[in-house]
Amino acid sequence: MSGTRALIAALRERLGAADPAPPRVPMPVVPAPPARVYVPRREPARGDAGGARHTTALLAIGHVGTRYATDVVLQFQAELAVAHEAVAAEVPDGWAADHGFLPLSSRVASHREFLLRPDLGRRLAPDSLQRLRDQAERSPDVQIILADGLSATACVDSGPALCAALAAACQQRGLSVGTPVCARFARVWLEDEIGHEVGAKVAVIVLGERPGLGTGDGLSAYLVHGPQIGKTDGDRNMMSNIHERGTPPPQAAERLAALAAAMIEQGTSGVGLDLARVAGEVERGYRPPQVRQRLVEP
Amino acid sequence: MLLEPIVPTVLSLRRIPAADPALLVAYGADPTRHVALGLVTCDQDDALYVALDEATKHAAVDVVFARSFYAGSAHASGRLSGEILGVIAAAEPQAIEDGLAALVACLAHDACFYDADGQRGITMFPHVIGALGAYLSRAAGLPAGEPMAYLVAPPMEATIGFDAALKAASVRAVKLVPPPTETNFACAWLTGIAPGDLASCEAAATAFAAAVVDVAARPRTR
Repeated sequence: MSGTRALIAALRERLGAADPAPPRVPMPVVPAPPARVYVPRREPARGDAGGARHTTALLAIGHVGTRYATDVVLQFQAELAVAHEAVAAEVPDGWAADHGFLPLSSRVASHREFLLRPDLGRRLAPDSLQRLRDQAERSPDVQIILADGLSATACVDSGPALCAALAAACQQRGLSVGTPVCARFARVWLEDEIGHEVGAKVAVIVLGERPGLGTGDGLSAYLVHGPQIGKTDGDRNMMSNIHERGTPPPQAAERLAALAAAMIEQGTSGVGLDLARVAGEVERGYRPPQVRQRLVEP
Repeated sequence: MLLEPIVPTVLSLRRIPAADPALLVAYGADPTRHVALGLVTCDQDDALYVALDEATKHAAVDVVFARSFYAGSAHASGRLSGEILGVIAAAEPQAIEDGLAALVACLAHDACFYDADGQRGITMFPHVIGALGAYLSRAAGLPAGEPMAYLVAPPMEATIGFDAALKAASVRAVKLVPPPTETNFACAWLTGIAPGDLASCEAAATAFAAAVVDVAARPRTR
């Protein structure tokens, strides 16, 4: 409130006005809204609390008033940040050659284009195609391809180890393995063109998978028999969640090698592959419940 | 009664919780930032300009529209029209509520015209704003928080009053609007030559009010 009313009242006094000024209207007293303090409440055991021990899904997280508890929100935001960071990461220049891979690239020119144009990520750039024809070993049983996919973080962190373990597991089964290649800005279907060019019986692409909450380090592997452009997802077998809290890489390498061997033996892949015949080797047994990684102290 | 406050009347007060984007654009709001509107008509335009500015100091609202109507509230287009429509916009309805509460309090207890001749035949608005809000500070080109004297009176009274105000204290004219305006008054915005000089603004407003009362009492001098 300004002092204008008092100023004019003083002026009125000075000018000697005869009639008394009207009384001022008192300001109303506005009571402050009551402060409500909400205490965090964990859900009572209702079954879902027990279920929460077996999953990283957000079960039985309780509430504060009508909202999530602060630590739940912060944990969610931190996990989302991990996922965002993994998607935004890129394989460093020269990394592939330094780690013993033949460096290849899809037709994508930039990371943004990679996210927006899946079709370009499924075909090799002309110079990469030439390099593959010039330098890659011909007609292997299994062609292993490492790729960045949607998480370059996972590709760089655990890709080389998984590829090496997979190559060793294949050779142990008497399968020949082609020149290890690493493709930049690659989508799953790029394995069709690479596998066809080298004349592999089975192509395996190991790539960083679309990050979920808090899992930026997951790898997926897709296998296809008789790779050539035009193969569909129905022709592929895949394994996801290859990371320490999911399927550990050494165990995954054994199963992938068993799958590749089964494909060559049966001459097919995807829905045509009879998994019952290799059930003992590729079926997943009991896996202990995953532990949610705390990124924020409660 | 001489120098009696003439308390403004809020003639209508409405909210639009989620306004149509076309309406937002037409009234100067930004559909990417504004959702809710608060609309008010009043029988004193200058009191509402000050009250709208007051609202920006109490809530996250923007004054997107404020226009006086021609010839003032004595010649209004309807009984709710008064002489001004003011519109505040905000991202959420609660901010509109807070802004309107501050606006209504300002109209009821602070900004008002005063009787300059004891018969309400001549009225004036010798208002001093202690600290400018976002709206009037932008209109005046002054930093927010500066004091400003907001002086309004009919043509002859205002002209004599502005001269008296400018000579009475170390103030400068931010804006001088000679008659006629929409409501056929004249208007001046004065601020201290030194930044933050509230006392000079108050002295200027008092001198203005005294000069207007003098012209009302003695319309002709030799």
